[in-house]
Amino acid sequence: MSLFGTTSGFGTSGTSMFGSTTTDNHNPMKDIEVTSSPDDSIGCLSFSPPTLPGNFLIAGSWANDVRCWEVQDSGQTIPKAQQMHTGPVLDVCWSDDGSKVFTASCDKTAKMWDLNSNQAIQIAQHDAPVKTIHWIKAPNYSCVMTGSWDKTLKFWDTRSSNPMMVLQLPERCYCADVIYPMAVVATAERGLIVYQLENQPSEFRRIESPLKHQHRCVAIFKDKQNKPTGFALGSIEGRVAIHYINPPNPAKDNFTFKCHRSNGTNTSAPQDIYAVNGIAFHPVHGTLATVGSDGRFSFWDKDARTKLKTSEQLDQPISACCFNHNGNIFAYASSYDWSKGHEFYNPQKKNYIFLRNAAEELKPRNKK
Amino acid sequence: MTICQFFLQGRCRFGDRCWNEHPRSGGAGGGRQQQPSGSNRRGWNTTSQRYSSVIQPSSFSKSTPWGGSRDQEKPSFGSFDSGASASRNRGFGLSQNPFASPSSDEDKDEKKLLEGIVKDMEVWESSGQWMFSVYSPVKKTPNISGFTDISPEELRLEYHNFLTSNNLQSYLNSIQQLINQWRSRVNELKSLNTSTKIALLSDVKDGVNQAAPTFGFGSRQAVTFGSPGFPVNNSSSDSAQNFSFKAGSGFATAASGSTSVFGNPPAFGAAPSASSAITTSTPAFGFGKPEITSAASFSFKSPAASGFGSPGFSGFPASMAAGPVGAPVAPAFGSSSSVAGFGSPGSHSHTAFSKSSSDTFGMSSISTSLPVSNGSTTTDNVLFTPKDQLTAEELEQFQSKKFTLGKIPLKPPPVELLNI
Repeated sequence: MSLFGTTSGFGTSGTSMFGSTTTDNHNPMKDIEVTSSPDDSIGCLSFSPPTLPGNFLIAGSWANDVRCWEVQDSGQTIPKAQQMHTGPVLDVCWSDDGSKVFTASCDKTAKMWDLNSNQAIQIAQHDAPVKTIHWIKAPNYSCVMTGSWDKTLKFWDTRSSNPMMVLQLPERCYCADVIYPMAVVATAERGLIVYQLENQPSEFRRIESPLKHQHRCVAIFKDKQNKPTGFALGSIEGRVAIHYINPPNPAKDNFTFKCHRSNGTNTSAPQDIYAVNGIAFHPVHGTLATVGSDGRFSFWDKDARTKLKTSEQLDQPISACCFNHNGNIFAYASSYDWSKGHEFYNPQKKNYIFLRNAAEELKPRNKK
Repeated sequence: MTICQFFLQGRCRFGDRCWNEHPRSGGAGGGRQQQPSGSNRRGWNTTSQRYSSVIQPSSFSKSTPWGGSRDQEKPSFGSFDSGASASRNRGFGLSQNPFASPSSDEDKDEKKLLEGIVKDMEVWESSGQWMFSVYSPVKKTPNISGFTDISPEELRLEYHNFLTSNNLQSYLNSIQQLINQWRSRVNELKSLNTSTKIALLSDVKDGVNQAAPTFGFGSRQAVTFGSPGFPVNNSSSDSAQNFSFKAGSGFATAASGSTSVFGNPPAFGAAPSASSAITTSTPAFGFGKPEITSAASFSFKSPAASGFGSPGFSGFPASMAAGPVGAPVAPAFGSSSSVAGFGSPGSHSHTAFSKSSSDTFGMSSISTSLPVSNGSTTTDNVLFTPKDQLTAEELEQFQSKKFTLGKIPLKPPPVELLNI
């Protein structure tokens, strides 16, 4: 019996995975496949910061591991190292100098992984799985920010086992993003809070959610002067909201757009609506990429309010995405995101991480 | 919205029902009316007043000719709707929905809201999107009650946890229960009978005190959703106390959930706006109307709930005897599962209320003859009172057209007096 009813499944559009013998839809975009990808769904991806020469990719998966690859300019990927947690890894991030990787897991802890020594130590503790982890580098302090389903936001100095600060959230933390001096946290029950990080983290504003359904992912974008000025918020309802913090004209500047839906023009059949699993902004162009449960990724220009490109449909949902520090590489992970419940979970199915050249495709539309 | 061209010409057939915008310029409306036939308008005004006095708030069916169907048998009325003065609309607004605030613009907004909700629900169901999500009809309004927020990761983690503890069946049961609750809530919102409408509108206005749906998953050994259950928590027990203690507001919240029960209570006309946030959809009373909602009439009967229902209820006679019901009542609800008591979006347990209210409403005679059937399911006793058990005053109240505040009977009406 199908709990989730009928689904326009993956692989039913066009080339069917099951029927045909030749076409295999796991990489319709013909992108570079990362070698030795994780054995279970990939929850998070992160590229190394510009301070580190070369490109290193970190991926956390539901197989409780965190893996690191070196990505060479030729496109070759070399697995470098791996660390384990005792629970699925939900988020990863790098320190600003590129020497440490922070990992957040369902085992209610967060660890700091020193890549040089290949040692990982626990630096954070929560009462519930840690959903988000970010490194904050301020002029007068540095810390790790962890958001958890125990409705708290904790800030950790990696040397101490007690948090520097604990902030209460209205609900479980679902996603967060940090670009100094701004941090945005989206919680359950459509909660949305912006923090300012100067001096010390404090709540800046609680925002009424521009979306009607559950929040799924959030990403901060910057203005022309390279200052964070707003964020993009994605929900499970195939919609992304662009929200500026202090816009000159809120009614006109803030907007939402629909994405990751099927049947674009055909209005007779009911549309299939998919969740937006990840949003990432191109570090140079300011355009954004979204990945969804429908197994597609799309590139958008939020200033021109147009879509730049939509990919072909993969046979699995795309669960995470990330740009490297100079915006040349776009990485996306193809693995099951549980959007259709346990019935569609196939532990045997291979999970992939693809790398795509993003230098050209994400150029903004006509410069105004 | 586009401006309705017909309305501008003074001949919109749909009037209030029209999907296009009717710019509300009173002067224009009045002015426009002068031109066709001045005397006619006066004539219409008198007839409309007569009609509005005839249409009783209780009988909703009678009001439909005014605004229900779009294809109106009397097109001439339609043309007047378009140019009608605001007062006329107000009259009809009240007749259609005694609980609406007396401004036609608000009526329109509410209708738009409700239509939007219906549409959203249909899309939600057909699109295959993630179902365990909160929802709010308009972006700035608070969430509608009855939906819980569960992220896919949380669900997946639960799956893995249950897998390792070899308890997959309970996970599946919980999922099934969640899905059923979601489905029933969506159907409720799609069909939008009056009680859900009123609950919705109060949700949207006052905000919902929904606390986190702490996972019933937490208890590994437990059957399905153990105690934490759904939005049953402090806030709901607060509202439980609201129900028990404050007679006025207690009735108010009751009325919002079960307008049909007390017939046509204009006394409660202002109730929903005054009511505090209702955490659940429709906690209907068990008095009288057995067909209030779709779910099984009593939590006694529903198999899954009975296990939970009884501990809560069995505590009752003791607590009632003890006097102040407040404290024992609330935890009994708070701790019992989502089915018995408040937190259930889908199912509705009625009898619980009937018991609690009778003790603490300081109003008319506390009838000890209120049957406390503690597990025995002789529904006749609890739903209706035989005529001979009513005092003369209560009988008179039931027989009169409306209840008078202060004399409202505490017992359910007798079967004979109900016209279903």
